[in-house]
Amino acid sequence: MLNAMSQAGRIVIVGAGMAGSKLANDLLHKQNAYYSITLIGEEAQVGYNRIMLSSLLAKDISDAEMPLVDTNKMRNEGVDIIAGDPVISMNLEAKELYLRSGQKVPYDQLVLATGSRAKALPIEGASAVNVMGFRTWQDVDVMAGLEGRQPICVIGGGLLGLEAAVGLVKRGHQVTVFHRSNWLLNRQLDEESAQLLQNKLEQMGIVFRLGESPKSFVQSQQGLVTHVVDQNDQQTPASLVVMAAGISPETSLAKAAGLEVQQAILVDSQMKTSHENVFALGECCEFDQQTFGLVAPIWTQINVLIEVLAGNDANFSIEPTPTKLKVSGVNLFSVGKIQPSAEDDCLFFKDVAANHYRKLVVKDGLLVGAILYGNVADGSWYFQLIQNKTNVSDMLDLLVFGEAYCCPQVA
Amino acid sequence: MTATTSKTTCPYCGVGCGVNFTLPSQVGGAVPPVSGDNSHPANFGRLCVKGSSLAQTIQSNDRLLSPMVEGHAVSWSEAIDTISSKIADVVKTHGPDAFAFYLSGQILTEDYYVANKLAKGFIGTANVDTNSRLCMASAVVGYKRAFGSDTVPCNYEDLELCDLLIMVGSNAAWTHPVLYQRIAAAKQRRPNMKVVVVDPRKTATCDIADLHLAINPGTDAAIFSFLLQHSVQAGILDSDFIADHTNGFKEALNQANESTPNLISTADFCGVSEQEVMILANWWSDTAKTVTFYSQGVNQSSSGVDKCNAIINCHLATGRIGKEGAGPFSITGQPNAMGGREVGGLANQLAAHMDFATPGAQDLVQRFWQAPNMATENGLKAVDLFQAIEEGKVKVVWIMSTNPMVSLPDTAQVRRALEKCELVIVSDCKAHTDTTAMADVLLPATGWSEKDGTVTNSERRISRQRGLLPAPGEAKHDWWAICEVAKTLGFRDAFAFRTPCEIFAEHAALSAFENNGKRDFDIGHFSSINKDEYENLVPVQWPVPKGRPEGTKRMFEDGRFFTPDSRARFIPVTPKKPVNAPTSEWPFVLNTGRVRDQWHTMTRTGDAALLTKHTDQPYVEIHPKDANQLGIEDKTLVRLTSPQGEALLKAKVSRAVSPGNVFTPIHWTQQFANASVVSNLIPSLVDPLSGQPESKHARIKLEAVTNISYGFIMSINPIMDLDCIYWCRIPSDIGYYYEVAWSKGESMSSLQSLLEKGKVSQEGAGEWLEYSHLKTQQIRLAHIEGKKLTSVVYLHNKPEPISTDWLLSKLIDRSLVSEQERMALLVGLPANIEDKGDIVCSCYQVGSKQINKAVAAGATSVEELGMQLKCGTNCGSCLPELKYFLPAITELSA
Repeated sequence: MLNAMSQAGRIVIVGAGMAGSKLANDLLHKQNAYYSITLIGEEAQVGYNRIMLSSLLAKDISDAEMPLVDTNKMRNEGVDIIAGDPVISMNLEAKELYLRSGQKVPYDQLVLATGSRAKALPIEGASAVNVMGFRTWQDVDVMAGLEGRQPICVIGGGLLGLEAAVGLVKRGHQVTVFHRSNWLLNRQLDEESAQLLQNKLEQMGIVFRLGESPKSFVQSQQGLVTHVVDQNDQQTPASLVVMAAGISPETSLAKAAGLEVQQAILVDSQMKTSHENVFALGECCEFDQQTFGLVAPIWTQINVLIEVLAGNDANFSIEPTPTKLKVSGVNLFSVGKIQPSAEDDCLFFKDVAANHYRKLVVKDGLLVGAILYGNVADGSWYFQLIQNKTNVSDMLDLLVFGEAYCCPQVA
Repeated sequence: MTATTSKTTCPYCGVGCGVNFTLPSQVGGAVPPVSGDNSHPANFGRLCVKGSSLAQTIQSNDRLLSPMVEGHAVSWSEAIDTISSKIADVVKTHGPDAFAFYLSGQILTEDYYVANKLAKGFIGTANVDTNSRLCMASAVVGYKRAFGSDTVPCNYEDLELCDLLIMVGSNAAWTHPVLYQRIAAAKQRRPNMKVVVVDPRKTATCDIADLHLAINPGTDAAIFSFLLQHSVQAGILDSDFIADHTNGFKEALNQANESTPNLISTADFCGVSEQEVMILANWWSDTAKTVTFYSQGVNQSSSGVDKCNAIINCHLATGRIGKEGAGPFSITGQPNAMGGREVGGLANQLAAHMDFATPGAQDLVQRFWQAPNMATENGLKAVDLFQAIEEGKVKVVWIMSTNPMVSLPDTAQVRRALEKCELVIVSDCKAHTDTTAMADVLLPATGWSEKDGTVTNSERRISRQRGLLPAPGEAKHDWWAICEVAKTLGFRDAFAFRTPCEIFAEHAALSAFENNGKRDFDIGHFSSINKDEYENLVPVQWPVPKGRPEGTKRMFEDGRFFTPDSRARFIPVTPKKPVNAPTSEWPFVLNTGRVRDQWHTMTRTGDAALLTKHTDQPYVEIHPKDANQLGIEDKTLVRLTSPQGEALLKAKVSRAVSPGNVFTPIHWTQQFANASVVSNLIPSLVDPLSGQPESKHARIKLEAVTNISYGFIMSINPIMDLDCIYWCRIPSDIGYYYEVAWSKGESMSSLQSLLEKGKVSQEGAGEWLEYSHLKTQQIRLAHIEGKKLTSVVYLHNKPEPISTDWLLSKLIDRSLVSEQERMALLVGLPANIEDKGDIVCSCYQVGSKQINKAVAAGATSVEELGMQLKCGTNCGSCLPELKYFLPAITELSA
């Protein structure tokens, strides 16, 4: 539509990760909207499904299954995709971007989708070559290139760290995970379910060092890390260290350009930043004091932004988002509030031998949180109950046993 | 009928139904289900649930199989020597009254006969009493006062032939189901037949009642006192009969006029409306064919004998006795209470319907028995007997086939008595009862299907109970054990009986000895009965004197009674209320009774899982108004306290009782529940004439038991050291099942260690499945060893209705595979399985939820329900309850 065209004109998306690529793809297919779209990425690979990196590392899938969008088709339909050439600065007044290659890119509407990076720990030697994150296809290629049975330390027992650890152990390496908290996935699991997960991962061969953070790294003369030193000055050998102790939103461009940034780039419910015609979404944005690491709310942000760009009324709001661990053989589901307060109802089921665990938190008659381990088939149903704010007071006694008991099929 | 099928008699209530019994196809195999004997005049093929389930009660894993002395198995000869030498010793030192028998309406006439003979003729004491004292002693004295003999005038046909049936203090629908079925069928055939129920409670029997008088407890006599004086005003006196065949009418009438001068005072005394009393009075005056049918509600009273005579007075005054469809009909509770009465097996009888006071009787019996040591006066009646034991006057007691620790009032007193007694001998077929626990010597007795002899039912009908299965282990017949002791005591010739037939023949001969029509009980026809004749004895109603083998259908048809002048006696009756009126400290009146599918102290019925489906736990029925005031909710635990003791029971909030009154069943013992023995609460007050305790009346207080969680445990092994506030073991076909209540805050780990005590394998940890919702104290645990479920516990802060059949079935399922299946163990049901609800029809296992569903789908009659679900189509005892499920409950209109 001409009107949309005139409003939006040239849309430039900075960051060709999942958020940026999908936005470009979806804008292209938005009915009755005609934009000139430019997608700029720092990585050589564009438009792949970052979530699947751990599966790729674990050799559960092949390269061919990695794309999130069809970049060839997008190019053919007119999207200008610039890969391996990151934006190095922006002039918001002039509405221009400057790439490392020296190229200048003008825009009418700018979308920042710069994502995030692995958080670096303030430890001596953390910048060594064999200390790496687990964020990109490139990272997977490095790990996949390791030969033999290498001692590897993973720092961080969150989702990313565990996925990296599993992938590496499946590739035959000897993996030790350092995790600061007393149990794994402490933001998603409680201690009991984490124990079940730990049992399972230990059976796969991963060694856990819980409640421990590395104190320092021992480096070789070549500058490579050779050992991880713990609080008791014990040394654990490592030919590779994977940093997976959280992520930092990539906000350097935005900061430099004068956008308002706290933990990340501040946006309103229409994904607008502090500057006109500049939007942000994905892991680099902050809304209502929250940042985003899971895909579901980001997909929602994309949909909101597409409507906003089209001149329609749309607003983003935060909903609880379920988490799953992408490790084959491990079924885990976590959503919402997982530590009950004294006044909440906490429903608990545990079958250790069957590796089956469930915990639900109900507040004022509404389901507000759930942990499932082992059998997660009811996860989507619980998620629906949370999203729909269904009053579950009448089914409290059966709730933890799942949909089959609470909503028996009418014969 | 095949060659292996025999006819025998049901061992439960006093109806005395004929039963077809088929031997198992191989020795030691399971007995096939029994059926009703079509040819038996008591039941014509019908059986109630208890009777139908007889086969399921035969195989018990708790049989007493060897004599025991002080806990050690001994030979019979050792046990007999221990008993005999102690009896000889105390009799020599303290006299014959230091010995006593405490017998039972469960034993056979032959057992009774030798016990009575040994005590009263050979040891020389009349301390022979029986649990029949608790059941019909008042009826006996009532009959004797009126007729000069303990004679039941009527027969069961009279119940079907009458035009007005007044049922007083009887919940026959549950206690005498087959008679109730006959009555209900007769009423259906002749809708003009009227049924009146006089009972403080609205029982299942009220279902067929045209009128229910929910009288104040114990006030029955006033109703009949009023009917007597009303009979005068209504002009229905049989003046000829009064003049020719009775004495004392005027005195009785004067007393009635004084006690119940008018309708208003009568209705007020009884706590019912004048209109209700008047309806009964009008029906009474309009209906010549009236039977008054009465049972424990009349008898178990401090004025039980007077109540009986108040009833009999009305029948004498109107000549409604000795006629078809008319008479005062006492129905006994036990299968052979009547046989015991015939033998004289009560402390205030001598033998064969002769009393110590009967002129010439002592001499007659002495000569017949050739007895060396005749007792000369009445012995101690049950309650007095146990008091004498506590006082040390009686030093040896032989308890046979009864459970006084549960059935006598004031259990604490009975316990003190048995603890003090020098030698407590208990003959029983069960190893563990509350009474065997008190025994010094235990004698293994034969049980039903092994015992061989005769019983007499409520209509004077003598039938054979046949010995069909071999006695297990060292079990012996009670008559044999008594004779062995008698022989060891030196009375070899008098107790040389080899068969029950020989005993029966002697019993018959004594009944006829120098009788010549003077005594009602005469079965002289059987004086020389031989083994074949005894084997083939067909049910017959006594008297069966020589020359009248067909027996006697109805008594007093000639208007002649067994008093010295052959005239019946009117007895002046002053209606009295029960002794213990409620007070501010003890504000409630406790009434006791039975549930449909249990018998006495559950020593037999308690083992059949099927029979627990109708009522699985002891309960206290409380009116909603009282429950509300006391903060008691349905199915929650209530503490009942009387001056005698306390009991814990689950509340059943119900309008069947009136405000201020509660009801509990009597059955549960400590073998089944830790704290629900109701006899703890009952004072040992007795009728001064009959010695029968006022077991249907105690004053108590009630309180809700708070801060507890409710639930159940099931396990493939018995749970040891169950130390919770309340437990009740409910027999199950599979494993062990307990309803439990714990103090709040019982932890998951302590429950786990309790259940682990019953672990099967010692090595290797089993697997625990856990569920909790701690805000409501909800904990559920399942323990699995191998792939087999071994135990389950569910607890919650409130009683929750969970059908446990599926869970129980999982105790024998050896392959728990899927996660879903394992999880279901903590739900109690697999997803998508129909929950039947509470079982209503025991025969076909039909539950309340199924019935409600059928009703919701349009069923409007019990017949339709029966067609759809089969419920009520076998024994029919659930029919009254089925009616309550139907949309329009026809309230009884007054």
